[in-house]
Order: sequence, then structure tokens, then C-alpha cells
Amino acid sequence: MKSYRAPDGAAIQVLDGVDLSVPPGCLAVVLGASGSGKSTLLNVIGLLEDADEGDVIVNGERVSALSRSAKSRARGRYFGFVFQSFLLLPSLTALDNVLLAARYADRGLDARRRAHQLLGRFGVLERQAHFPPQLSGGEQQRVAFCRAVLNDPPVLLADEPTGNLDDANGRVILDALRERARAGAAVVMVSHRPEAVSSADALYRMREGRLEPASGGGVS
Amino acid sequence: MSAAARILREYGFTIAGIAIGVAGIVALGAMGERIVRFIEGGDRFVLGQISVAGRGMGMGTGFTAGGMLPASAIRAIAGVPGVSGVQAQVMLPLNPSTSQFMTLTQELVLGLDLSVPTPNRQYPTLPVRAGRALRRGDRRVAVVGASFAASHGLHVGDRLLLEGDSYEVVGVLERTLTAPDRFVIVPIEDARRQWIAKDRLLRTVIASGAAAVDAADLNTGAAVGWRDGEDPDAVARRIAARVEGVNVQLPSELSALLRSSTAFFSALLAGLGVLAFVIGGLSLANTIAAAVFERLRDFGVKRALGATDWRLGREVLAEALAVTLSGGAVGVALAMLLGVTVDRWAARTGQQLFLFSGRLLGGSVVFSVLLGAAAAAYATLRVVRLSPAEAIRRGA
Repeated sequence: MKSYRAPDGAAIQVLDGVDLSVPPGCLAVVLGASGSGKSTLLNVIGLLEDADEGDVIVNGERVSALSRSAKSRARGRYFGFVFQSFLLLPSLTALDNVLLAARYADRGLDARRRAHQLLGRFGVLERQAHFPPQLSGGEQQRVAFCRAVLNDPPVLLADEPTGNLDDANGRVILDALRERARAGAAVVMVSHRPEAVSSADALYRMREGRLEPASGGGVS
Repeated sequence: MSAAARILREYGFTIAGIAIGVAGIVALGAMGERIVRFIEGGDRFVLGQISVAGRGMGMGTGFTAGGMLPASAIRAIAGVPGVSGVQAQVMLPLNPSTSQFMTLTQELVLGLDLSVPTPNRQYPTLPVRAGRALRRGDRRVAVVGASFAASHGLHVGDRLLLEGDSYEVVGVLERTLTAPDRFVIVPIEDARRQWIAKDRLLRTVIASGAAAVDAADLNTGAAVGWRDGEDPDAVARRIAARVEGVNVQLPSELSALLRSSTAFFSALLAGLGVLAFVIGGLSLANTIAAAVFERLRDFGVKRALGATDWRLGREVLAEALAVTLSGGAVGVALAMLLGVTVDRWAARTGQQLFLFSGRLLGGSVVFSVLLGAAAAAYATLRVVRLSPAEAIRRGA
């Protein structure tokens, strides 16, 4: 359960009795109109904000009950985030943005080598010393994806990851998300792209804060 | 990318903002320090000796202002218990027509009896920058203060015309930032000649033979020293009680008088200093806090990546300190550049407007860093209270 306060003080229910279970290796896609609570759902799952009621359980650990510091560490350990607006730090180079994930998860060893591998795989190694404003949208999202998967997190959360990309770049990111799922991660994505819907292992729709199974996915 | 380059890239404008604030604080502080040094120097001087003048009014000026102090009075003072030494002096305005209300800044001729050591405990000798000090037996030579030398374009070996007589400049004093900077120091015999030349009444009296005045009687005052362990004020009172016809200044009273006469400047300076620190400090604190809030989204992203409150707080604080230190250093450099430039221009008239003392520079940097850290800590506390999602939303 999650509600916000409107300016007039009234409660707005954004998540209402949501129950979502995503097993490892599953790519779950959540659809829904703007303001239906999709992003809030991802934020609550990823411990970016607290729910009013309910639990978030990862690998059997009730992470939503952890202290603030432990939640921070759990975010670095369990989750990778891909945002619609990339959210790269403008003062850091592409490589340093990727390495940021390792810094806070205390995974310094090999992080640089792995970051280079990932940047190479996604075709942006040559842009490693560039700053975000010097990169195209597609390049920025590929760098952001490298950052999200650097620590090989068991849960990957993607909020409209292709929303600001053209078709070609969007396909690169969707393929990468599918690949993460095949590699064993639980992937939850909010997206409107038909390709995402067609290849989802599980498909859901958010409506007025409620999550319902939707048809059209691969495996539900 | 090095940390320094990253901080410069990330906080370039912030550093510039802090630099301007710190430059303002340091520049105003340096002007204050300059005047404080002047007042403190005078205070140290008057506390280093008992100043005695002849009773009444006369040509004498400065700290020995008063009537004539005859040789008999000087001998009597030397015999007072507790007195360790007496040096007859003549102190005259260089130009008697100049308004003398600013006695602390006027140019003075100081004639010293070089047959005895100067008894001032704080200034037994004045530091000479070039040439030499006056010696016993010298005649028609002068040692000039730094400001006097600058404003009159004098160097060692130059000639100086005083009351129609030519004097050779044999020494230039170090800049003391206090009264001696505007002194022309000459042997007392030469100062007496100048006194007679300046004072028509004195010339008339001596020429008439109406008063038994000897050359040795022509003193405007005397500097008196006290023996170790003696209370200078008590010795001064003893002189006043035992020697007739003298005005004795108690060192503590003279010090208080000096402080009260400069109280306006001191209050003005204190006000300016407080104002500079408040305005500069607020500007600095605001700049740092704004720089932290400006990066709200970045902090949200870092927390999403696993940064704990403590880790984030440490990072922000460290960056704020680095930024404040950089801004502080640039600000100090800017203020010093301004001060040196202005002082180079002012030196043509013998002035120095800025004094960048160690305590000012150290104090400004420490003040800036503490304030920057406090502002950063406040902003960080505000930032870490937000959930990562809220920080990202608000910073977007």
C-alpha cells in the first residue's frame, strides 16, 4: 500500500494491495496509464521509497524492514536501476558513471575491467572518457544500463527505459534486458513498446493503483 | 579524471562565488589590520616609556607636547628613585602651518640626545632598512621613516632641507606601520636649531637675554625609563611629586588616552569587520548550501546506487571543504592582488592601506572552512532526509 498527500491534504492511493512476485530469470512488464502508479511500484520494490504497508522480499530477505543504512546497502547489493531519463551524473565521464555503482556496493575489485567489458559490449567504450552531455540519448542509456548491471544485481528495475530512445536504441536496451533475465535476474520493466510486450515473460497492468495480470505476454 | 579537475568542473562557479566573498572579507580585514597595527604600535610605544614634558604650551608636539623642559628638570628626573635613564628629546611638527589635529599622522621631527641610550622598553632602537642609525657625535644627518622617505622620494645619501639647513639622509627605517614611519630623526642639537628657527618668540627671548636659557634647556620633553621591577605608573607619580614644572604622562593613562582618541576608528573597524564577516559569511554559506541543493538529483542517484547517509554525508562534506578551501585560497589571492596593486599606487604618497597579517589570512580561511562545513552539513542533513526517489524527483 502506498499513498501520497494531495496539496489539499487528501490521501491519494497510488498502490492498493499490489502483490507481485517475479522469479529469477523472469522479465515482467508492467503497463498502465500515466499516473497509474507504475513508477511508484518500481520505487517501492527498489527501496527508493517506502510503502505505507506491505513488504518487499528479495531472496527471502524482508528488505523493506531494514534500517535506513541497511536499505542503502541492500539497494547496492540487490538492485540495478534503468531510468527513462538515464540519470547519469553530468560531472562524471561515462566510465566513472559506470564505476559509481561499484563504489557504493564496495565492489572495487575488477570493477574497472568489467566496466570496460560492458562499455565495449554496448558499443560505447570509445566514449568512456566523454561526459553525458557529449553523448547521444542512446549512448547515455547504454552507459546507464552498464551502470545498472555492473554489480550483476539479482533484480533489475527499468522505468520506461526506452521512452527517450529511437527504435534502434530502444531495441538494444530491450535485448539487453531480456538477456539479463535469461542470465537469471528478475527483471521488472515499465514500458509501452510493443516489442517489450511481445517478449515479456509476465505482463501486468496497473489501474488506479491495482496490479492486474494482462494478456499478450509470453509466459504469464 | 582527477578529483581536483572534477571539483573544478563541478563547482567552478561555486568556487568563484566563494572567492569573491572571501576576497571581500580579507580585503576589508586587511584595511582594518593596517589601522589596528597603527594603533597598537602607538600603544606599545607609550607603554614602553614615561613621557615627560615641560609644563605649559609650546612648539612641542606628539607624545612630549608641552612647554620647555630645562636641563635642570632632566637632571632632577634622573635622580628620582626607580628611574633608570632619561633621554632629552625635541619633537616638532615638520611643517607648523599644517593643521595638527591629526597628530598621529603628521610628519614630525624628532631630535634625540644621542649621548644616552633610548630608554623606551618596547623600542630601544628602531629597525633600519637601509643605511645606518644615528650615532653619538652626528650632526646635520637624518634617519627618516619609511613613509616619509617614500613620499619625499628620499634614499640614503640624499639631501634633505630642514629650516634652511641641508641634512644628509644616512638611514631609512623599516616600515613600522605606526608613527615613526613619518618621522625625521635628527641629533637633538640639530633639532634645537630647527626649533629656534621655527619659533619666533623663542628667538626673541633668547636674543633679549631676558631668560637664562641654555642650549641644553631646549627640550620639548624627555623619555624616561624605569628600573626592573618598578611599577611605571608609580615611578611617573613619583616624578610628578618630586620634580617641579613638569607634565608627566602615566604610561597607562597615555595608553588609555590613545585608545580613547582612536575609539571611533576602532569602533568603525569593528563594525566593518563584523559586516564583512556577516555578509561574506552569509554569501559563502548560501553558495555552499545552494551548490549542495543544486545536486539533489545526483545525490538521489547515488543513494539509489547504494550510498548510505553516512557515506553520502562524508562525500558532500569533503567536497564542500575542498570547494571552500579552493574558493578561500583564490579569494585570499584576489584580495592580496588588490591590496598590492592599491598599495603600489598609494606608496607614491608614502601610504600603505592594507596589512595582510598571518592572523587575518589564517582566521579568514578557518572561518570560511568552518562556515562552509556547517552550511554543507546543514544542506546534507536536509538532503539525506529525503528518500532517493524524492531527491531524484525534486532534483529533476
